[in-house]
Amino acid sequence: MRRLLLTTAVATTAALTLTACGTTEPAADDAKKTTERITLTDATGTKVELDGPAKKVVGTEWNVVEHLIELGVDPVGVSDVKGYKTWDTAVPLKNEPKDIGTRGEPSMETVAALKPDLILATSDLPPAAVKQLRKIAPVLEVKAADAADPIGRMTENLDLIAKATGTTDKATELKKQFEAKLDEGKKALADAKLAGAKYAFADGYVVSNQVSIRPYTSGSLIGAVNEELGLKNAWTVKGDPAYGLGATDVEGLTKIGDVQFAYIGNDGDASSNPFAGVLAKDKVWTSLPFVKKGNVHRLPDGVWMFGGPGSMSAYVDSLVAALTK
Amino acid sequence: MAVTATTPATRPPTATSRTGAARVTAALVLLVVALAVVDITQGTAAVGAPEVWKALTGRADQADASVLIASRLPRVAAGLLVGAVLGMAGAALQAVSRNVLASPDTLAVNAGSYFALGLATVTGVSLPLLASSGIAFAGGLAAAAVVLGLSGLGAGTVRLVLAGSALTLGLTALTEGLLLLFPQQTDGLYHWNQGSIAQNGFDGVLQMLPIAVVGLVGLLLLARRIDALALGDDAARGLGVPVRATRLTAVVLAALLSTAAVTLAGPIGFVGLCAPALVRPLARRFRALTRTRGNLPVAGLTGAALVLGSDVLLRALVPSDVAVGVPTGIVTSLVGAVFLVVMACRTRDTAAAAAPDRLHIRSRAVFLTTTAVLVVVLVGVVIAAVLLGDARLLLGDVVNWLQGRAGRTTAFVLDTRVPRVLAALFAGAALALAGTLVQAVTRNPLAEPSILGVSGGAALGAVLLVTTVPMVGSWGVAGGAFAGAAVSSVLVFGLAARGGYQQNRLVLVGFGVATGAAALISLLIIITDPFNAIKALTWLSGSTYGRTLPDIVPLAAVLAVGVVVAAARRTELDLVSLDEDTPRLLGLNLGRGRLGFLVLAVLLAAAAVAAAGTIGFVGLVAPHAARALVGRQHARVVPVAVLLGAVLVCAADLVGRTVIAPAQLGAGMMTAVIGTPYFLYLLVRSRRG
Repeated sequence: MRRLLLTTAVATTAALTLTACGTTEPAADDAKKTTERITLTDATGTKVELDGPAKKVVGTEWNVVEHLIELGVDPVGVSDVKGYKTWDTAVPLKNEPKDIGTRGEPSMETVAALKPDLILATSDLPPAAVKQLRKIAPVLEVKAADAADPIGRMTENLDLIAKATGTTDKATELKKQFEAKLDEGKKALADAKLAGAKYAFADGYVVSNQVSIRPYTSGSLIGAVNEELGLKNAWTVKGDPAYGLGATDVEGLTKIGDVQFAYIGNDGDASSNPFAGVLAKDKVWTSLPFVKKGNVHRLPDGVWMFGGPGSMSAYVDSLVAALTK
Repeated sequence: MAVTATTPATRPPTATSRTGAARVTAALVLLVVALAVVDITQGTAAVGAPEVWKALTGRADQADASVLIASRLPRVAAGLLVGAVLGMAGAALQAVSRNVLASPDTLAVNAGSYFALGLATVTGVSLPLLASSGIAFAGGLAAAAVVLGLSGLGAGTVRLVLAGSALTLGLTALTEGLLLLFPQQTDGLYHWNQGSIAQNGFDGVLQMLPIAVVGLVGLLLLARRIDALALGDDAARGLGVPVRATRLTAVVLAALLSTAAVTLAGPIGFVGLCAPALVRPLARRFRALTRTRGNLPVAGLTGAALVLGSDVLLRALVPSDVAVGVPTGIVTSLVGAVFLVVMACRTRDTAAAAAPDRLHIRSRAVFLTTTAVLVVVLVGVVIAAVLLGDARLLLGDVVNWLQGRAGRTTAFVLDTRVPRVLAALFAGAALALAGTLVQAVTRNPLAEPSILGVSGGAALGAVLLVTTVPMVGSWGVAGGAFAGAAVSSVLVFGLAARGGYQQNRLVLVGFGVATGAAALISLLIIITDPFNAIKALTWLSGSTYGRTLPDIVPLAAVLAVGVVVAAARRTELDLVSLDEDTPRLLGLNLGRGRLGFLVLAVLLAAAAVAAAGTIGFVGLVAPHAARALVGRQHARVVPVAVLLGAVLVCAADLVGRTVIAPAQLGAGMMTAVIGTPYFLYLLVRSRRG
């Protein structure tokens, strides 16, 4: 023990001498001010001041990243890049952003090293972490989701981000396209005599022989889009106040009755697709009325269920295609 | 079902005893059946008692019938199997080790199996159930081998449990690490390392049934030899029973049984401990139950009743949509924790606390060099912690920062990194000091805030507050932690106070409280905030993520007070740690002195938890290593222990932040990885000493 301590001490002293007194960055000089300032108020009521439209932007959650890409601003830093590429191919990354760590604990230091003009964070980050991020760069904290008005929340976030990046025109265009997409989808469903049809969307996971299912209630983004399309949400379980997600198991599905059932899984994640996997042999599942009638639809992978207009438009397309097939 | 099939195996010596035992068994069977029937009527589908009755009389519609057949019945069957298997494994382990606290949990069999399963999941190989149970078996057996090897079979109740529980803590931390690192493969933290008996169809149950039968039949065949072991090793040898081989076989079979349970349902806590304990008072009245052949099936039945009862209770108390997310294992852990505490209070622990360290007398020079070297190491670690991270810095950057003229990036990095480093540093120092105080007062070298449940109580208090008052500040969180720590320590020390603190009862009660607190924290997070991984990480395994300077102020204040008090009253600490009589002879009020030190230790632990979550083992390792380095004098132990604690947590935090950057691991996880082997080493050494 003593020898170990001594060696460590010698080694550290040597290391200290070696690292002494260099700097990785010159000392600060007076910052140059530009003229075109932008002032915004974010979801927490914080005033955010920008010197100009943000160009180097970091996103800590995938939904804000998706907004950015759609607005034509390629983010310089994204949480869990690999995960994004797996789960959100509807709005693919156009550049190779730096991975800033997990979505839950993005690394402050990696973010700081990127020297962003703007950080987009969501209310899923703890307030202390946001407080720290604010020291790195202006932080626009958006509310991650709001089960009271999911679509309104999404467009509000889009608008806020557009203002910060000087892309308001693009945002208006995106919103118009999305409205058009919803109308088009609604019409297509009505033409197929599916207006008012009972419909349930879910995703599910298999963990050690057990299946857990997440119902997307009316408070979820997808649930709200479904209602815009003229479908009737069949879930009776209560969702959480932010994402509108509930929890149930296979037998809970017996309560939704005869519906159109759709889900999104992922080929890149073996545990994410119980419906065509373990449940294929499950008696409860196979005796459900909608399973017997073949009204179970697997929608294409890569549509992020909590994303922006891009993902939601892709969702509308795939849903309409599946239901009117 | 294996349980009912073996009932006739009770072959009691006398007629009265036989009918009595038969009556007990019949009553248990009835209880299990009743619980099973209630469990069948519970669930998320609208299939209640009337529908079940219709189904039984063949008049149900097909949907209800399939819910019953493919979901409810498999769940009940799994509950029965898991409970029975764990109960029997516990009974067998207790019999061969002559140890009322041996069980799949306390021997780390469950934790070993679960860790092995996690490892297999993470590597991305999707295995059939049988193969994965093979992996779980290997893991569980390896863990049991380590625990039994280190503690020695039949060598004292407490040592075994301590070794097993420490290994459980370490392995659980590792499994949690895997879950965090590979959230996609392991479905995040939603299940929180707790088992659940829900099933899809009978496949799993049917595949595990043969394993359970093999284990049970093997144990029954071995029953006579196991009975002989109860007479003592020498007597058993005299009867021609191969002691070693019998123990080994029984442990392997018990591991096999618990493997079946873990593969089927994940770790369901403490059933293996409680079931045999519940049978024991019965065995006193009916002699047939003292024999292994009678005891084992009854323990199995009791285990089944425990698991089903927990499931029924959970589904009755919590709305069904929430109950889906709450694993049965949480309920059994809570029940088991209470049980462990009660048992610890009732167990007559004749063995004194583990032998105190040999009296090291070190020279002043040794102390001075050690301190000097430690200071250098600490400075080195702190500087490394400040310089290293996702962004590498050089000392000049720090100088610039200190002078307030650092460049933007450097300033950001240091502004966020320094509070984390300080949190780790102070938390380590505070925990080490708390450990030193507790060990001195209780004269128990294994006492430590997290093992004694004080840290767990603090975390529970903090989580309760954070959950109910979301915008609470740093002092508020610290206050919540203080309250929780106070409650848990009053409980632990109060229960252990009978007959002085030095008994191992203290540690066992502490373990119970710690387990209960962890289960309650999991429950709180699942019910209120299931998607919040950070919250869980911070309060279950310690993390310095997102700390700011104000968060550290309460900790720094308490630490300063603690160090001053410890320095001023070092002589009293020396006296208190000596023995029961010397301080009294010198006219010292032992009770009040002890209380003061304990209160201080609790405050220190709570402040550390509020700042950095539950970080285990530091309070154990640091004072111990300090005593080994500089002897037992507290004037020397305190500074060295504090320095060591600071170095340890700071280094753990550094490693956790950098190794898999930009993703991060909690400091608590890293200290568990370092602390577990050290704890086990201490156990081995104290056996020799």
